[in-house]
Amino acid sequence: MPFGASAQQYMTREGHVRFFSTTPIEDIEAENHQTTALLQADGAFAFRVPVLGFRFEKALMEEHFNENYLESHTYPNGSFEGNIDGFTDALKDGESHDVLAKGVLSIHGIEQEREISSKVRWNGTGWDIESVFNVAPADHDINIPKVVRNKIAPTIEVTVQANLNPR
Amino acid sequence: MRTLNAFLFGCILITSAFHESAQAQSLLDGIEAAPLVITPVSATFKDTRIINAQSNETPGKNVLHFVIAHRFGQINEGAYALWGLDNASMRMAFDYGITDRLAVGVARSTFQKTYEANVKWRALRQNSDNSMPLSVTLYSVAMANGLRWSDPTRENYFSSRLSYVNQAIIAKKWGSKLSLALIPSFIHRNLVESLSDAHDQWTLGAGGRYKVTSRASINVEYHHALAGLPTDHVNSLSLGMDIETGGHVFQLHLTNSQGMFERAFLTENSGTWGDGAIYFGFNLSRVFDF
Repeated sequence: MPFGASAQQYMTREGHVRFFSTTPIEDIEAENHQTTALLQADGAFAFRVPVLGFRFEKALMEEHFNENYLESHTYPNGSFEGNIDGFTDALKDGESHDVLAKGVLSIHGIEQEREISSKVRWNGTGWDIESVFNVAPADHDINIPKVVRNKIAPTIEVTVQANLNPR
Repeated sequence: MRTLNAFLFGCILITSAFHESAQAQSLLDGIEAAPLVITPVSATFKDTRIINAQSNETPGKNVLHFVIAHRFGQINEGAYALWGLDNASMRMAFDYGITDRLAVGVARSTFQKTYEANVKWRALRQNSDNSMPLSVTLYSVAMANGLRWSDPTRENYFSSRLSYVNQAIIAKKWGSKLSLALIPSFIHRNLVESLSDAHDQWTLGAGGRYKVTSRASINVEYHHALAGLPTDHVNSLSLGMDIETGGHVFQLHLTNSQGMFERAFLTENSGTWGDGAIYFGFNLSRVFDF
C-alpha cells in the first residue's frame, strides 16, 4: 500500500506554474494558476497542471504552444508523481528546508525520471512548496522546427509555487 | 511447445496488465482538477483565409499580418508554359489587428489592378466549453478596379470602379482536427458589363479543414451563386493544404478561381476543373508584432 489512507494530506487546486524561455531573440513566458498539488505526511507528492491553462503574452504563442508543441488536446495534463526524500513532521519549524523530490515528470505524454530540488516550509497550517527546475523540450519529444530554434530555448525554466492546505 | 509458448505469453500479458494498473495509481486519482477558465477556441483555421475566402480568424491585437499570394496560369496550358507556372497573378495584403477581434486591411492585386480596403470583426467566438457553440465573423471589403477606362471618350465616374462584398463566416471547430465554415456573401457592383447583368448577387459558400499533422491540414472551399451565374462563369471550387513552419503559414492550393479578391473569386471564375483549366497557387503569410 504505497499511499496510507490515514496519512494527513495537504492540497491545493490553485498552484502556480510559470515557464520561461529566454534566447537573445525572444523571451517567452507563460503562467498557470490552476495546478492541483497534493502532499502527504509520509512525503508522497504529486502535481497536475492543465496545459490549456497556460496564459501567454501573445495569442499566437498560446495557439502554437497548444496546437504544435504540447498538443494539449491529446495530452491535456503535465504531471509529477513521486516522493519528497526525508520528509517528516520534524520539518514543521517554520523554516524553509531544501528537499529533493524524486519521481516521474510527465509532459507531452513522455515520462522522465527526475530528482528535483525544492523548498518546503510549514506556514502554521499547511505547506508552502517552491521549486525551480529545467525541462528540455527534446526530452519529452517536443519537436521544435529549425526555423524557430533560435527563438525557443533548448532548456525551459519551470517554476512551481503552491500553498497546500490540510485536506 | 506451443502450449508452453501460449502459457508464457499469457503470463507476460497478466504481468504487464498488473504493471499498467500499478502505474495508473496516482495520488491524484479521484481528485478533480479545478475547472478550466473558459477561453475562446483558438486556431479554428490556421490562417485568416481558408483558401480564397476569409476564415473566422483575425490577426491578434497589434499584429501586422502580411500576405503574398500567387495564382499561376491554367494547368492545362501544358509543358510549354510549365503547366501555368510561366504566368502569375499576384496579391499583396497587409492586415492589422486593432484588437483581438477587430482588424483592418488593404491589398492590391495585379488581377484587374484592383485595390482593396477591408474590415473584419469577430462578432462571436466559440468557447472552450461550448457555451458559445459557434464563431461568427463579419467581413466587409470595398474593391476598386484600377484598369484604364475601356472607353475614355465617354463620361466615366470613379464610383463605376467600385464593388463591395459583405459576408458572414460562421465557423465551428470540432475537436482539435476538424473545422467547418458556412459563408454567405452579398456582392454588389456599381457598374455591370451589360444591362442584363445583376448589380447584386448572393453566394453561399462552405469551407473546411482537417488537420493531418500538428502543422499541416487539408482544406477545401466551395461557393455557390444562388441565382446562378452568366454562362461563361462558374462556381468556385478549391482544394488546398496549409503548412505551418512557425511564424509563417504556407497555403498551397488548386483552384478554378484566378482572382484573389472576393468579387472575382465568388462570381467571375472562368476556369473549370473538368478540363484542367485550374490554377495552382499559394498564400504565404508572415506576422509581425508591434
